[in-house]
Amino acid sequence: MDFITTLINGLSLGGIYAMIALGYTMVYGIAKMLNFAHGDIIMVGGYTIFVVLGLSGNPILATVAAIIVCVVLGVTIEKIAYKPLRGASPLAVLITAIGVSYLLQSLAQIIFGSAQKIVIVADMGTVTLGSVSISVSTLVTLGCTVLVMVVLTLFVKFTKTGRAMVAVSEDRGAAQLMGINVNRIITITFAIGSALAALAGLFYLMKSPGLTTTLGAMPGIKAFTAAVIGGIGSVPGAMLGGILLGVVECISYKITAIAPYTDAIEFSILIIILLVKPTGFLGKKRREKV
Amino acid sequence: MIRGKNIKWKDFINYAVIAVVTIIFGSLSVTGNLASSTQFLLEKMSIAILMAISLSLVVGFLGELSLGHAGFMCVGAYLGGKVAAVLAQSMGNSIVTLILSVLVGGAVAAVCGVVIGLPALRLKGDYLAIVTLAFGEIVKSIFQNTSFESFGGTLGLSTPRYDKKVLFIIGFVLVIICLAVIQNLIRSKHGRAITAIRDNEIAAKAMGINVTKYKLLAFTVSACFAGIGGVLYSWSNYTVQSSNFGYNYSIEILVMVVLGGMGNINGGILAATLITYLNTTLATVLTGDLAVLQNLVYALILIVIVIYNNSPALKSFRERYNLKALLHKIKLVKHDPMRVKDDEAVWDRVPTKIAMDEILSVDTKVRTSVAEKGDPYESEGED
Amino acid sequence: MKHNTFNKITAVLMAVVMLATGCLLSACGGDKNYAANNTEFVIGMSGPLTGGAAIYGVAVKNSAQMAVDEINAAGGLNGVMFKLVATDDMHDATKVATNYANLYENGMQVSLGTVTTKPGLEWKNLSVDDNVFFLTPSASGDAIPANANGFQMCFADGNQGKVAADYINQNFAGKTIGVFYKSDDPYSAGIYQQFKANLSSSVTTVEAVFTDANTTDFSTQIDTLKDCEFIFMPIYYQPASIFMLQAKDKVAANAVYYGCDGLDGIASAEGFDINSIPQEVSMLSHFDSNATTGAAKEYIDKYVAKYGADTLNQFGASAYDCVYAIYNAMKAAYEADNSSISVTMSASELCEVLKAQFNGSFSYSGVTGQNISWDSTGYVQKTAIRYVVKPAASNEN
Repeated sequence: MDFITTLINGLSLGGIYAMIALGYTMVYGIAKMLNFAHGDIIMVGGYTIFVVLGLSGNPILATVAAIIVCVVLGVTIEKIAYKPLRGASPLAVLITAIGVSYLLQSLAQIIFGSAQKIVIVADMGTVTLGSVSISVSTLVTLGCTVLVMVVLTLFVKFTKTGRAMVAVSEDRGAAQLMGINVNRIITITFAIGSALAALAGLFYLMKSPGLTTTLGAMPGIKAFTAAVIGGIGSVPGAMLGGILLGVVECISYKITAIAPYTDAIEFSILIIILLVKPTGFLGKKRREKV
Repeated sequence: MIRGKNIKWKDFINYAVIAVVTIIFGSLSVTGNLASSTQFLLEKMSIAILMAISLSLVVGFLGELSLGHAGFMCVGAYLGGKVAAVLAQSMGNSIVTLILSVLVGGAVAAVCGVVIGLPALRLKGDYLAIVTLAFGEIVKSIFQNTSFESFGGTLGLSTPRYDKKVLFIIGFVLVIICLAVIQNLIRSKHGRAITAIRDNEIAAKAMGINVTKYKLLAFTVSACFAGIGGVLYSWSNYTVQSSNFGYNYSIEILVMVVLGGMGNINGGILAATLITYLNTTLATVLTGDLAVLQNLVYALILIVIVIYNNSPALKSFRERYNLKALLHKIKLVKHDPMRVKDDEAVWDRVPTKIAMDEILSVDTKVRTSVAEKGDPYESEGED
Repeated sequence: MKHNTFNKITAVLMAVVMLATGCLLSACGGDKNYAANNTEFVIGMSGPLTGGAAIYGVAVKNSAQMAVDEINAAGGLNGVMFKLVATDDMHDATKVATNYANLYENGMQVSLGTVTTKPGLEWKNLSVDDNVFFLTPSASGDAIPANANGFQMCFADGNQGKVAADYINQNFAGKTIGVFYKSDDPYSAGIYQQFKANLSSSVTTVEAVFTDANTTDFSTQIDTLKDCEFIFMPIYYQPASIFMLQAKDKVAANAVYYGCDGLDGIASAEGFDINSIPQEVSMLSHFDSNATTGAAKEYIDKYVAKYGADTLNQFGASAYDCVYAIYNAMKAAYEADNSSISVTMSASELCEVLKAQFNGSFSYSGVTGQNISWDSTGYVQKTAIRYVVKPAASNEN
């Protein structure tokens, strides 16, 4: 019974990791950059929810506002900070992303101060199945994550924009020659990624009501790890990696003797998986040609 | 590069500059004329330079992204620091203690370098990057959970501090040693093998280069000097706390390497110096209520510099008005015509045909201009 | 070619020489009295003004500034004003050396040390060379006041762990209690270790830990602790408030949460309604941020009026006391001997004066306690009070 509870806790945490990892993986797959500022967009989403919830008291309105703010922010960052570097070394973009991350964090501290804010989005209670009780927010998180995953997969497979995204991720130069507006596709990708970050911020606050300016940092890294475990660039892979990481984390915290080593255990699992499967579970193998 | 009788002094100017700086500040310090804030700043600079040069070998020359460089430093700091703490009880803070701790810290970190180099044989690009990041976090977590008696646990390991009047001199001596090893490695045939792997691994393999050997070599040497940087850190602080070696610090070192220009050691040294100086100055100037602006200013400077330096759109602008051109005008910077101009790590390992032509054409241009006019920048400067 | 290279080397050399001379001219000598040109007493401090721990640093900076302003408004010490210089260490020990050196070289004569323990371990050693007095409001590590120039206003971690263990030994012999702590935090782990060492063997513990990487989702830990009726949590209030919210339906409503001084501030945490928690919340502390009487109430009113309730916590209260304690000690020394205090005296001279006071019969009454005195190590001697922040819901009705 204990194990089942731990497993459910793990699923619930994993759902959040998966949601963040989906955003990471989208941006990475298409723009080919590690967007280190992704975690901080989650933080911005969280603060937007905090502000709008405080003004209106309506969680749905707050979520919509957070999505809008994050999308606008994500696209703006892309236009100002990343677009000038298109064609430059990916490392330069990585460093800019880190700069953006610092920038967002310090702006948030200037605006909102350093104290932790408690944000209670909605008290949804729990449902009891047999002897196991699951909170409704867990179910909502998992449901939404699966839904988003399915929608994203379908979007990529069956819409024109989605196909264009695949084309850009396969070969940007060739895609451009085929008449795809690469800049537009990348902007759309950032918009989707940022909307996912806003949702992740919502689920994060539903699970854990503490809001700080560094909120996105560690979940961001964990989700990046999850995305790599699943195979970076793969949408179902991000889901798989996120869930796996969440479950491992909860099991590890459950066992007192190894609990302090939880981080080490999670990262060791990553290394082991990559040594066995160098591109993660569902990652694509790329053949190199000379 | 030493080619026959034609010894180019320019290749040694970085040693000269560091040596002169060290001698001047060292003599000021030993005679008691240097404030401790300057001493601390110089210590930090020497550590930052060590870290930047050593990371530059892996990122700039081998072309692998490493986000766990602080992990090697952590290993060096803890083990070197432990050796120092144990030996200092019987031998005091002598130079012998310091040398022994440097050797131990460097050696253990080098072993870790081999361990991390092994996955590098199988993994590529960002996958390797996340493994190095994971390594750094694992090392951090392990040292954090040690017992108080062994490595200090959460409070950190108490280490002896070396005389602040002398420590930065030792730091710069270590920098010169590191520079000598890495610069000579890069300029040797081994170095050319390493850059060949970066530019095209498959082609390098086809040419008979032992990729395994050279990847491990680069990782080991890099980790060893990061470990030595860690030992230096342990001597310049009273406690070694593993929380300081997280991925944030690894990224800070990476920023230095990238800002300095990939595959440009002198640039890395300059960037490490300037970033350390900038951080210290911001911390000194922005106190009290203004402290919150520190990160903001740092972030803005970072973004602007990276975009300015790397944006393809600003290329022509950059070529006319950059620091190098400015320095050339006042004849400070050496120009090494033998250095391949486009010496940046290429991440998509296989350059497209067009990109390849571009690289080649740049190369030819440099060579012809050299053949015609000698140093192309000199004529500009004399106008 | 050769000629050119020499030119370049000469140019670089000249630049460096100029730099070094500039450095000399700006008077960065070795051992000298940097306070010789002071026109006011300079109090220095280093704390996390930004980053994850900023709330503590900001509280200390604000409160210390408030005390300095009050002292100055009342005429300072014999007409000489005080000045506070607060530097930011981001809770990072590597930044302390620079902060310390800059403060010292800009005339710092006395200091509040650091706000948190990790940077404090550096400060303690740096300040001993120059003999700079420090009275830290909140760096509670056991080793912080080890040197003669260091004193604490807060309780040392080990002391808190021992007092908590005594309380539990008396009240919970033969029972099972829960312990919830942060394994990678020196404050939390420090209290926990002393607590464990002093706990009688008749008390059984159920333990759950969390780390810096996970300060928000406590479902697993709650699952471990859910059957405990008494949970000892030597942690800071931010994770505690999240824990309580997540656990409110899972842990028995009559359970008791018992924390140390880090828990202070929980009742006023923004957005957190402590009355929505059915369990009793209590803590061992020197300051109650819900105080309705006495000096604590006065301090709270002044602080909230000036800086808002956002950063109100025991760190600030302690810092307020630190500044007044230093002021009172200087004043006592001045009244005993007019020549013992001057505005241009060096940090080391002032340190000797203050050490004589703090190791002597000097005592101080303020926001965080009455008749506070210090033992020879520098540990504070005052009473820790068990505050019930919020009684259990059933008691209320």
